[in-house]
Amino acid sequence: MREKWLPWALIAPTALFALAMTVVPLGYSLLTSLREFPLGRTPTFVGLQNYRVLLHDGNFLGSLGTTLWFAVAATLIEFVLGLSLALLLKDEFSFQGIIRSSLIIPMVIAPVVVGIIWRLLYNADVGLFSFIVQALTGRNLSVLSNPTLALPALILVDVWEWTPFMFLILLAGIQSLPQEPFEAARVDGATPWNVFLHLTLPMLRPVIVVAVLIRGLDAFTVFDQVFVMTQGGPGTSTEVATLMIYKTAFRFSQVGYGAAMAMALLFLVMGFSLAVTRAFRASA
Amino acid sequence: MDVLKDEILPQFEKETGIGTEWVEADFSGWLQKALNDGQTRAGAFDIYVMDDLWVPRFAGAGYLANLEELGFSVDTDFVPCALDLGYWPPKNGLRQPGIDAKAKPVLFSLPLVSDVQLLFYRNDIYDRPPATWDDIFRMARERSNTAKRQYGWVTRGVKGNPIANSYFVLLHAFGGDIFAENWKVAFNSPQGVEALEFYLRLLEYEPPGVAEFDSDQEGETLLQGNAHAATMWTGWCSQTDDPLRSRVIHKIDFDVPPKQVNRIAKLGLFMAGIAASAPHKPQALEFLTWFSRPDVQIRFARAGGVPYKMAAFKDPVARKNCRWLDAILNALTMGVPSPRTSDWSKVEDILGTELNRALLEKGNARRHLDAAAAEATAFLKSAGYPAA
Repeated sequence: MREKWLPWALIAPTALFALAMTVVPLGYSLLTSLREFPLGRTPTFVGLQNYRVLLHDGNFLGSLGTTLWFAVAATLIEFVLGLSLALLLKDEFSFQGIIRSSLIIPMVIAPVVVGIIWRLLYNADVGLFSFIVQALTGRNLSVLSNPTLALPALILVDVWEWTPFMFLILLAGIQSLPQEPFEAARVDGATPWNVFLHLTLPMLRPVIVVAVLIRGLDAFTVFDQVFVMTQGGPGTSTEVATLMIYKTAFRFSQVGYGAAMAMALLFLVMGFSLAVTRAFRASA
Repeated sequence: MDVLKDEILPQFEKETGIGTEWVEADFSGWLQKALNDGQTRAGAFDIYVMDDLWVPRFAGAGYLANLEELGFSVDTDFVPCALDLGYWPPKNGLRQPGIDAKAKPVLFSLPLVSDVQLLFYRNDIYDRPPATWDDIFRMARERSNTAKRQYGWVTRGVKGNPIANSYFVLLHAFGGDIFAENWKVAFNSPQGVEALEFYLRLLEYEPPGVAEFDSDQEGETLLQGNAHAATMWTGWCSQTDDPLRSRVIHKIDFDVPPKQVNRIAKLGLFMAGIAASAPHKPQALEFLTWFSRPDVQIRFARAGGVPYKMAAFKDPVARKNCRWLDAILNALTMGVPSPRTSDWSKVEDILGTELNRALLEKGNARRHLDAAAAEATAFLKSAGYPAA
């Protein structure tokens, strides 16, 4: 009898902790999304009212689209660049340590600081980008106040900051691959492209899934850079969902509606995770 | 705020023997912490330092203690409009739905820093303070030289609160208002449109990219000598004469923003209220009482703080040390606060988004103000306002 219950008893503390840290807050958020919190009065249960309003809230639906566009584009570019860098720097070479260390510097800078640095770089009057464009064309470039350029500019910042993360994970993955298949391919006269396509990529698939998922999920919750650099503007062109949720819940005190928005974002993120997992499973 | 933290609080501790702990956070982060504390009644803080537009939210929700019940008594030396912002329901103007029209205003908070938007202008460009907005435009047209990065005007254009605050002064100066009777949205009135069209006309004489400017970029443009005038918060005053911060030392003067139809300044005071759940209410009250003493207010003003007592504004040493005090007092007497409703932030965000769009398009003032008015009206209706 004791042997039957011992494993359960051993995992119970961890399971309860995990439950308390994930399921309980999630359940509370769900409950919050079904309520309204009039200032200074008792919260009232409103059923699915917040979700009904959400379905017709063009601003929020637009922000979900912006978030999706941001997350997919940033993750894709970071993956391609990270993989390229990992392939380029996987072998031994001089100053390897210095180069690899310097590559990860952007990742260790606080996102708010990154936002401030890039806001200065993008400044239309004294920023580097504007300076270059003015030198070449004689015209000013207002990156962050241009509705077409603002979102790509934010994506570029994310790519600058988080490509090193992709690079590190993929480099570790590449270096842990068994060498025998590569040696056999070399003996058989396979070209580098064929080796990459038929050996490296398939063998690296589990690492790629993890890297893309971690980075993608993080990109869906981007907040700091947007908050610092554009506040969601110009207009609503960089208004990502997290910014809108934050404003709704904390600035506008619509806590229930903000929670409903958060649940909607959660479903979008889950959809993204499923899509990535299935895409990689299908290509296996 | 630095003067309060670095000079006044140590004096309070020394004089009363009461220890203090100053919790510092960014504006939004602090709002979040304070709201959480108020809602959960956790008692993590004794005094909430609030933007004046938070007072309706905190007082309306019951997060603040009634100061008069705690024993605070008001004297006649307060700058009236600064003190008025501490009452809920408001002493004047519209009352939020659900609040009894006859309910007596209760003092829930006191001013801490009398922040107000002033006109900052270059005294080497302007012979005398600009009396009207037309003077600003004329000088901007005559003296701007964009090739040499000399701009007649600079503004905060980033969406939301910054651009809404910039526009607020012009809207009122041109005879408009945010709301009319019964919370009817009024910023898209002919006066509102005229004010926005004027704001957009000034763009020609402003730095490129003002649509992304917040107060830091606006202030830097002025302090680096690239702009000739701007409306900015009082926190920038002392920096204009600081050689480490400014390239135009003693070249910037201060005044109430100019007149068109009306002459007003936008109030944006920092207020202090005692948390309803404060664990040390008597000590918190003692601080507020001590800080509002005329001699302490004078010390605060002499050290560079912006006081809220007339005695401090009249103190010759303070006026000599801080040459902007007269302008601040004048601005306070003509001050207009943000609408006194806990839902103002949402309306401000709606208005600020459309203003930013108009700024990007450099036109379509009427269309964007109508769009903002329609969205704001729909929101207000859903929130129970009689807006029609």
